[in-house]
Amino acid sequence: MSQGQAQTSTGLTLAWCDHNGRAALKIGGWPSTEPGDQEGLDSGELSRRFALLTTEALESGGDVNTVPPVAGRFEVVEGALYFIPRFPFVAGASYSLVAHPAQAEGADNAAVVFHIRCPAAEAKPSAFVTAIYPDVGTVPVNLLKYYVQFSEPMSEGRAQRAIRVCRDDTGEPLEGVFVPMDPELWDPTRQRMTLLLDPARIKHGLVPNMEAGYPLIEGVPFRLFIDPVFRDARGRPLRAGAERRYEVGPEVRERIDPRKWRLIVPAPGSLDSLLVEFERPLDYALLQRCIRVNGPLGAALAGQGKSTPGEEGWSFTPAEPWVDGAHQLVVDRRLEDLAGNSPVRVFDRDMTEPDDGPPPTDNVVVNFLCR
Amino acid sequence: MVDQATTLEHLGLAVGSPDIKSVGPLAFGPEGVLFVGDNVGAAIFAIDVGDSAAAGQTTAIDLENLDSSLAAYLGCSREDVEIRDLAVHPHSRNAYLSVMRGSGDAAVPVIARIDASGAISDVDLEDIGFSKSDIEDAADEDDPREVTRVKLRTVTVTDMSYVDGLLVVAGTSNEEFSSTLRRIPFPFTGDTDSNSLEIFHVSHGRYETAAPIRAFVPYQGNNSILASYTCTPVVQFTVSDFRPGELAHGKTVAELGAHNRPLDLVSYEQGDEEYLLVANDRHPLIKIACVDIAQQGPLTVPDDSLDDSPADPVTPGVGVPRQLLPHAGVRRMTNLDGDNVLMLQQDPEGNISLHTYNVGDL
Repeated sequence: MSQGQAQTSTGLTLAWCDHNGRAALKIGGWPSTEPGDQEGLDSGELSRRFALLTTEALESGGDVNTVPPVAGRFEVVEGALYFIPRFPFVAGASYSLVAHPAQAEGADNAAVVFHIRCPAAEAKPSAFVTAIYPDVGTVPVNLLKYYVQFSEPMSEGRAQRAIRVCRDDTGEPLEGVFVPMDPELWDPTRQRMTLLLDPARIKHGLVPNMEAGYPLIEGVPFRLFIDPVFRDARGRPLRAGAERRYEVGPEVRERIDPRKWRLIVPAPGSLDSLLVEFERPLDYALLQRCIRVNGPLGAALAGQGKSTPGEEGWSFTPAEPWVDGAHQLVVDRRLEDLAGNSPVRVFDRDMTEPDDGPPPTDNVVVNFLCR
Repeated sequence: MVDQATTLEHLGLAVGSPDIKSVGPLAFGPEGVLFVGDNVGAAIFAIDVGDSAAAGQTTAIDLENLDSSLAAYLGCSREDVEIRDLAVHPHSRNAYLSVMRGSGDAAVPVIARIDASGAISDVDLEDIGFSKSDIEDAADEDDPREVTRVKLRTVTVTDMSYVDGLLVVAGTSNEEFSSTLRRIPFPFTGDTDSNSLEIFHVSHGRYETAAPIRAFVPYQGNNSILASYTCTPVVQFTVSDFRPGELAHGKTVAELGAHNRPLDLVSYEQGDEEYLLVANDRHPLIKIACVDIAQQGPLTVPDDSLDDSPADPVTPGVGVPRQLLPHAGVRRMTNLDGDNVLMLQQDPEGNISLHTYNVGDL
């Protein structure tokens, strides 16, 4: 007997089928007197005679008369009974058809239950982790977030059990590092996940920071583990887990200062890349969109901007050759470093410290000459 | 049943099949319109749930093993059922749940309806009255010159409330760490930007921070908002302080302690007083009197006693007075009918149930 078809002891056949473009369950092989009877039955009577339940609900102690039936409807077409579910059947799940006897057969006749399993899809793992950011060897003790990049679109809801952090020296797990991941933060392609370290433990002046301290420990290296229990969009586990080791350096609590950046400016007429070297690594995701170059006419230049390895710099390759004259590097005020500091404010601004800066005002501009 | 799709045209709803990719936060608006946050589709839908039933004499809803019943109804295993939010229809008093059935490519968004008898049904999301507002703030989006680059920024809605013609939406970016409260006029006009607010709060009079709001509740006739953050402070805002394009500053009135996450808030009246409940993932359910919030000064002075205190949300000196309630495992709450609060509770084994509590007993 195949997985997709069940021959019951009473001669009934249950089979998965297509019914007007939707997956349905076909119940065939009724005794000759029955189909004619059923064709005369209205949908109300059909749903009194038949119910489809999940086998899980039935087996977890449910009674055939009290378990809510699977949403959907029964239809009789040309002597065969169909169940058309309101929601698609789940691959690999088992369902149970409950057939109550017709009233004429007497109330003593118990309901008959038939089981059938929906064929399961092949589950060969293929997705894997392609990158973990920050792509650095040492993170500040007040690190704010990670990005995990996957090779394929992923399912949500697994991060809580799939991600852990352990001390590298003892292997001991570090608890309470991340914000509970509900809702999980994914990009529109479902391939990049953002993990926030617990900001309550990072921010100065909050009780959790005072009570529990930073989630990481300065001077104690750790490993971030991504376990294969993650599921891709088709429900398959990862091909393999991933891990990354980091050293932990001192806290960083100062604004990003683009005036301290080193610019290597190409000569006019070339298509070479402008190279920008930062004073410290910056946030990978924000780097891809928070810096732009304005030309001598004040308009933004077309081209490709991207972070350099280790997020220690940024390069810009223009679509048109560089021209002679004054340019501007425009830095969006929302750009952040690894600890959430931006060009206009410290992550947890100490209002008694003038250097921590006022609340956000505007983008920061660095002038440079191309000649 | 009244053809609500026709009657709701004046709210901008048109009949069709909304392309809802996921369901998350819920909030009811005027005339029984249900707002549904779709974080995968980066949109908020206003839908006509077609619920013209009148509330019965008994509105209390009590349903054990709600997750198992939903799984049976949806034809899937319990593990495939994720209940994301709860709201109550303002007229029928039926409970509505946003439920994701399965995940990944197989995920199906469901708006389930539970009536006072505990019967489960769901809102057919085809051929219904709806309108849609994109969450993305297009003006903030990436540089238009790089049109070929994949836009990877998203805003994940964490909570919503309808307040006097505006849908107030709290969200979290997957890139920058900020606090933006969007105020989207309803009926939707496509204008989501001009009313966005950046919000800061001050801890102990010294550290000013921004952070995503996890949950919030309007109270005092919608004149105030109490917001709870992932990073534990409970912050009060005065709605009249919200001015488009300006920074708003809230008053931190309490902190909830370490290793805890606020999950939901609800307001209700008991006698002549208004109270708020705050549900937490680790700490018990907390009750706060609104009058105490008004009288509570901002937490401005670092409190040395904290150094010796356990992670106890009632630690004196850490803000507004609060009372702990015994209701265990509260995940979501909503005001059922003024006299009762409906709570979605999870027991230690993970079983989820719905229970109704009279405000007099809270």
